[in-house]
Amino acid sequence: MSTTLSSARTAPPISGRQIAQWVFWLAFVATFVWAWRRLDMSVFGFFSDLGNVANLFKRMYPPDFSDLSRITSSMVETLWMALLGTAGAVVLSYPLALAAAHNTTPGRVARGASRAIITLSRAVPEIILAAIFVAAFGPGPFPGILALALHSIGMIGRLFADAIENAAESPREAVVSVGTTKRQTIRSAILPQAIPSMIATSLFRFEINLRGSAILGLVGAGGIGQLISEALETIQYKPALAAVAVLFVVILAIEVASTSVRRSLIGEAANLQLSAQRRSWFRDRLIKRDSRVNEAATRERQLTPPWTSERIFRVSMAAFFGVLFVVAILTVNVSWFDAFGNIGDISIVLKQMVPPSFRGERSMVISGLVESFAIAVVSTTLGVLVALPLAVLMARNINIRKWVATFMRIFVLALRGIPELIIAVIFVSAMGLGAVPGTLALSVTVAVFGAKLFADSLEEVSPAPREAVVSVGASRIQEFVSSVIPQFVSPFVSHFFYLLDVFFRSSTVLGIVGGGGIGFLLLQSIRVFEFKLTTMIILGVFLIVLAIEWLGLMLRRLYR
Amino acid sequence: MQGVGVRGGDAVISIASLSKRFPNGTLAVDKVSFDVPAGQVVGLLGLSGSGKSTLMRLVNGLHKPTGGHVSVLGRVVDECRSAELRVLRRDIGFIFQQFGLVGRMTCIENVLVGSLGRLRGPRLGVRSYPKALRTQALENLERVGLLAQAFQRADTLSGGQMQRVAIARSLMQQPKVLLADEPVASLDPESSVQVLDLISRIAREDNMTVLCSLHQVELAIGRTDRLIGLRDGQLILDRLTAGADQAEIMALYRRTGTAQSVETRVNQLA
Repeated sequence: MSTTLSSARTAPPISGRQIAQWVFWLAFVATFVWAWRRLDMSVFGFFSDLGNVANLFKRMYPPDFSDLSRITSSMVETLWMALLGTAGAVVLSYPLALAAAHNTTPGRVARGASRAIITLSRAVPEIILAAIFVAAFGPGPFPGILALALHSIGMIGRLFADAIENAAESPREAVVSVGTTKRQTIRSAILPQAIPSMIATSLFRFEINLRGSAILGLVGAGGIGQLISEALETIQYKPALAAVAVLFVVILAIEVASTSVRRSLIGEAANLQLSAQRRSWFRDRLIKRDSRVNEAATRERQLTPPWTSERIFRVSMAAFFGVLFVVAILTVNVSWFDAFGNIGDISIVLKQMVPPSFRGERSMVISGLVESFAIAVVSTTLGVLVALPLAVLMARNINIRKWVATFMRIFVLALRGIPELIIAVIFVSAMGLGAVPGTLALSVTVAVFGAKLFADSLEEVSPAPREAVVSVGASRIQEFVSSVIPQFVSPFVSHFFYLLDVFFRSSTVLGIVGGGGIGFLLLQSIRVFEFKLTTMIILGVFLIVLAIEWLGLMLRRLYR
Repeated sequence: MQGVGVRGGDAVISIASLSKRFPNGTLAVDKVSFDVPAGQVVGLLGLSGSGKSTLMRLVNGLHKPTGGHVSVLGRVVDECRSAELRVLRRDIGFIFQQFGLVGRMTCIENVLVGSLGRLRGPRLGVRSYPKALRTQALENLERVGLLAQAFQRADTLSGGQMQRVAIARSLMQQPKVLLADEPVASLDPESSVQVLDLISRIAREDNMTVLCSLHQVELAIGRTDRLIGLRDGQLILDRLTAGADQAEIMALYRRTGTAQSVETRVNQLA
């Protein structure tokens, strides 16, 4: 049973799995070439397009802040829409999550039903929901709030359910052993564990909804998006840039604030004694003060919790959001009484939406969907090609110049703040209507979005194999190629399909701003009350999303 | 007296050929029978996986038996409906190996949870509990020597302190029966002794009936009245602690252990 060295293979046998991988990537390249041609993209046109965008920016600069009061009031409206939409989603998601989580669900039927609602609510993009609600209730922020609230259930409900399911089992058992009812058990053992994660989820969704609500104005749902698109349509480029700048700064500021609050909430970090933060003079003082306050409370047998820094922080945060919420409800341009009085009108629209039908537009629907798919393929590929080098620069464990990595991260984070439809509006203004500006705008978003994903995965690469490779005397490039890349392939594949999935959904609404794809027909069908056609298009989109998800699943299996 | 399982008028816990087979086929408790009279402190011995935890959970109805009966305080646990079970559990304190505290909540709030069985409706936050109960919670924390930590988060405590908070939580129930499932298995030797001394002291002061599972024989001696031993879900030892010799009991385990492994080896060869 011995093999002589001369007859031994020097290359491993080719496995079926490898063949499948090759077939897949060849098919993908073929699809990319087809999509590139379908969209009439060209490398030369690419540079002239970039020139056009640069020209537009030249004409937009310097921004004109003369109508700052209108910009501010639109921005505030956008902010309130995001806040109230998120709050609505939180309120709706809580009972759904309790029903969906296996450790709190009242039964199998309730669990299945709530899971289905959570999944379905994410299926339709918020801007399409907003357009439908604008058709039902007329323009204004209310349809926008409603759209954000319903769409956000998809993410908030699922993450809430995850947080509830992640609650440790032992406190639950201990509380049950005392003889509690189900509601008492949930409130005393499960909820206290899930709350930090639930708050973090809500804040995170608020950031996302802020970007989302900024574009809802494009379909008449109020806010700064309306201002930007109107300004660009009437060639008032300088005020448009002013509005974009304000939006950009506000989104960035809120993202930074919310990220730091989220970080201080998660896990043990909220407690000064437990948090792993660097010790500082100030922190030591706070810890001393806390223990003094605690001692005094127990010495006097106080029956209420003392005001430790943790409690002050928690209560003031709650008060802050409480006040913000009340102000939002009172000042946003919605007459709540009428709004909730007319909410039944949705059912009229819903009735008109079934059964789905092509209404004689079958070929338009199919070519629109195909174009959207082509846009998604080209923009994801182009974006990923830009994202990869960006990610290498951003990953702190790979880029030896730490300040370059930090700078790149901030740069990408800042760019990520601009909603893709706003970029699309700008590109369409520069290059005219069509799929090419839409594709390029989407590529920019894929690049920054993907760069963050890839950089995070690169930073998670295990250092042990890298050390081993370096220890044999490999150069930095050799080390990267033979120890980092092999670890990165599998997360890359799953991120790639995630991006394709996300940005196919985005490509279906590009048409709203004239960026090509099915979006134009989709918006038209809503505007002319052809709701059966709307449903048909949404179904088509849903089918393609399912197909992409299935392909991604298969490919992940190939690379596991 | 009602029900099948109650034998002998003064038995607080009465177990009659009790069995539990889990859905995956494991027979965790195999026809175990014994009675515990009021005020007795019983040490339940056995290696891990011998069925101690399951037996404890059968006693307060966290698990349903697949055979036999168990009654506590004159009520047949396995025949209780969920509302009756909740009423019964109020009189049975339960102490867990993993403490079962919510780390983010303060100690006093974790202790207050013990009074939920007597309250209506869900509670969140110390201030949602009546003042009288809060005073009682402070008293119980004082009793376990942790008054000073009342308003600290539970996750800032050491393991031994956490288990003492859990004992204070059980005291809120003013239980007549205390079940302690491996209360010191996650603790260092010094805290183990402290926690067990606290349990046996409180049990005698409040005249509680205690079933306490342990896997170290030496810890049971001197703190219990009676020793019950399980192996593979079966009762293999039941005697008074007085006069029990550690080496003798250890030997019992060793012998059975060896006997079993010889047996399986013989079976494998056959």
